Amino acid sequence: MALLEVQDLWVRYEPKMHRPLAAVQGVSFTIDEGQFVGLIGESGSGKTSLGMAVLRLLEKPGRISGGSIRFDGTDITHLTEDELRAFRWRDIATVFQSSMNALNPVANIEAQFRDALEEHTDLRGRAVTERVRELFDMVMIDHKFIRAYPHELSGGMKQRVSLALALAARPRLVLLDEPTTGLDVMVQRSILDNLRRLQREQRFGVLLVSHDIGTVLELSDKILVMYAGKIVEEHTAESLLDSPLHPYTKGLLGSYADPRAEAVRITYIPGRPPDLSRPIRGCSFAPRCPERIDRCLTDDPPLVSIDQARVACHVAVLQRLGGEDAHAVPPPTTTFAGPQFVKTAEDASTRRGSDTLIEVRNVSKRFRRRRGLRVTTVDAVIDVSLTLRKRAVTALVGQSGSGKTTIARMITGIERPTSGKIIFHGPAGERDIARYRGRSLRGYRRHAQYVFQDPYASLNPTKTVDYILSRPCRNYHGMSGRQARAKAAELLETVALTPPERFLNRYPHELSGGQRQRVVIARALAAEPDLIVADEPVSSLDVSIRAEILELLNKLVHDRDVGILYITHDLLSARMLADEIIVLNGGRIVEHGPALDVIRNPTDAYTRQLLDAMPNPFTAARGGHTR
Amino acid sequence: MTTGTTATRGDGDTATVEGVEPVESPRWYAIVWRSGKARVGIVILAVYVLVAVFAPLIAPYDPTRSDFDQLLEPSADHWLGTNTTGNDIFSQLIYGTRVSLLVGLLGGLLSTAIALVVGLIAGYTEGTLIDEVLSFVTNLAIVVPALPLMIVLVSYSEVRGLPLIVFVIGIISWAGHARAKRSQIITLRNRDFVTAAKFAGDSMWRIVFREIMPNMISLVAAGFVGAATGAIGAEAGLSFLGLGDPGSVSWGTMLYQAQLQGAEAQGLWLWLLAPGLALSILITALVFINFGIDLVGNPHLRDD
Repeated sequence: MALLEVQDLWVRYEPKMHRPLAAVQGVSFTIDEGQFVGLIGESGSGKTSLGMAVLRLLEKPGRISGGSIRFDGTDITHLTEDELRAFRWRDIATVFQSSMNALNPVANIEAQFRDALEEHTDLRGRAVTERVRELFDMVMIDHKFIRAYPHELSGGMKQRVSLALALAARPRLVLLDEPTTGLDVMVQRSILDNLRRLQREQRFGVLLVSHDIGTVLELSDKILVMYAGKIVEEHTAESLLDSPLHPYTKGLLGSYADPRAEAVRITYIPGRPPDLSRPIRGCSFAPRCPERIDRCLTDDPPLVSIDQARVACHVAVLQRLGGEDAHAVPPPTTTFAGPQFVKTAEDASTRRGSDTLIEVRNVSKRFRRRRGLRVTTVDAVIDVSLTLRKRAVTALVGQSGSGKTTIARMITGIERPTSGKIIFHGPAGERDIARYRGRSLRGYRRHAQYVFQDPYASLNPTKTVDYILSRPCRNYHGMSGRQARAKAAELLETVALTPPERFLNRYPHELSGGQRQRVVIARALAAEPDLIVADEPVSSLDVSIRAEILELLNKLVHDRDVGILYITHDLLSARMLADEIIVLNGGRIVEHGPALDVIRNPTDAYTRQLLDAMPNPFTAARGGHTR
Repeated sequence: MTTGTTATRGDGDTATVEGVEPVESPRWYAIVWRSGKARVGIVILAVYVLVAVFAPLIAPYDPTRSDFDQLLEPSADHWLGTNTTGNDIFSQLIYGTRVSLLVGLLGGLLSTAIALVVGLIAGYTEGTLIDEVLSFVTNLAIVVPALPLMIVLVSYSEVRGLPLIVFVIGIISWAGHARAKRSQIITLRNRDFVTAAKFAGDSMWRIVFREIMPNMISLVAAGFVGAATGAIGAEAGLSFLGLGDPGSVSWGTMLYQAQLQGAEAQGLWLWLLAPGLALSILITALVFINFGIDLVGNPHLRDD
């Protein structure tokens, strides 16, 4: 008997002010004792609703509207809160993305473990302390932090504490909802490795919910792919990689590639998931699907078993099992036939750019923090020198805290260096950026624009796209209202939001994440700058659409004579975009060279670590992963 | 220059167009209206506004006409009777609505305007000399006891009238709201979209009032309703103390007259009760509306 058995589960949201929608539509799956199951999907696919329903944590206006959830034979679908208490933590535990913020700030870590342990186990007194030590060893945190308060721990440590807390009562099933999203690549890697090791030792069942198929594949025994509220593919991890069945799965896999390869090819899934509050005819993925056939537009494909797997796709079923239209479909492929972005070694080695645009000379930045009477200093950037050339893309790579954003902020005049100089080779000759104030700073920013990480935060929610794009045109080019509107439309064309008339009057919340980021890029272009500083421009987007934005940036460099300072923690995207890569660690440059050289022959140990930490299902499958 | 893009865009372009279904988020007035309390408040306020606008049609007599018999009992001719000076109480009550609403509107506007300029500029320039000066003035205005200052200002001024009352209420009641707006803008001014506006070359005034302010509109609206409530109360209070506009009829002056003539001792309850009740119901209605506005700015309070 399976540990968790979900049968035909439906979750509906019925808010008073919106149309109701079914976020989970007839989902069935099982998790066996000690099985590691990954659940993947884009944002809006219903994966979190499904997870919350399994935990019985859905809040109004959401509710389970049909089906059943059985845990170890007990139907928990309709248990009351009091009856659920017996299961929670002891049998079913959970870690969310935000779990690290759920630690009580006014109690030390040990006290919080003690609370949980005394409530759910028979351990008391010294036995609890012993167990806490054991748990800290398990997640590999130094014992000196047992008595610490949450604010004394880093984000990664807090998340590991949350994991230890979830495992404290030896649960049989752990649900992890994006447990490492928002954490650094290296930290992410160490937490996930930790998790897999613990799961193998202790044999608890896991449901890992994530949008990142790369990480999920490495860890899981079985993968569930969710799209528009339904499971569209269920597959074992090994065979999923070799023979993905559903085009959507292929699309998700297409976002990964080995940056060391001759030609790096990443695909993206255009469009976005359907609105579940409206009726959908046919297959919900059909509008975005490159393999669709006529039947996909009319009939909703059922979930069909093929060998060990299950898939909901007419094409895949015809390809594998045959049928009367089988001759009409091409033979099965493993790659996504949609749009793609390719960069060959030859392209990458062609050096672009010539004249110096900005020169960073021996720059350091020291932040002073005052806590009461004590002043602490942090050296964010130490003696960094680099040159940005016109029409070239330079990637600054490093994990958070490496000083890459600080350098970008100094180059754009948001911060001033503590020592050293940043020289701008502009139309008026060489100028020190730190000297710019007020009007002259504004004049400088016409040449250096910024693209922000989070397109949800960098567009004013109360302004239309038209207003957002016309401001720089009016400020920097003195355009009239009508001219600026025409220019805004032209910019939208440039970033492939066509036809522009359909976007000009929209508010940011009416756009998808990828569309918003296009608007942000269009705004940066409006000033006609020489340099665009792009600070992690794709990291808050779904993995499946990242290549789309990277391709756009690449096209801009090609077409518009603009240089890019690309800031990232991800070496794959740096390979796709950059001519030169600069690797930062602890505020210092540790490696610097042409993109391909840095990635293929890293000389610094830290660069190699960054390369290894990248989630990549393909290298992992080949056993090329170093643990 | 060569790039490595061999993009097979295919139907990628059409795909960026589809799926732009607007996410329908309810408009602010729908949110306010959905709150039961706010709905009651809005209906009551609407009645008051109608009464004020159509006062000449509703009121049977001129409120200053004093040639009726004194102290008439309520009757078909005089619904609430007459007072000691021979005015029709019902007519006075109807016309009094005009003064209260006008003072509420203008006093609220003036106070909100001052609070916005001072609070937003101080918050946006937090930590600089401008902020120090503005915050000092704000703090000063908060600690000065309002009612005595109002009394002093009004009683020493040469002309008494509605403009003076509005002015005094405005310059005395802005400080608390300015403080609230300052702390609100401090949380907003480091948002990415504000930095983006700087990169777009916008000036400080434009950033503060065109970019940031629309994002705190529910706070501004709540502040305005609160200020209007305060202004209505302050006008009634000043008039009750005999500092109102002697030429106009307001609920405050009615209460003042009633108190002066010893209405309570004579058992003329209607004379006291009518303006007092009108005032309390109006203020309650405004407070109810503010509950609704709270829901706009704070979605957690909504029950959906």
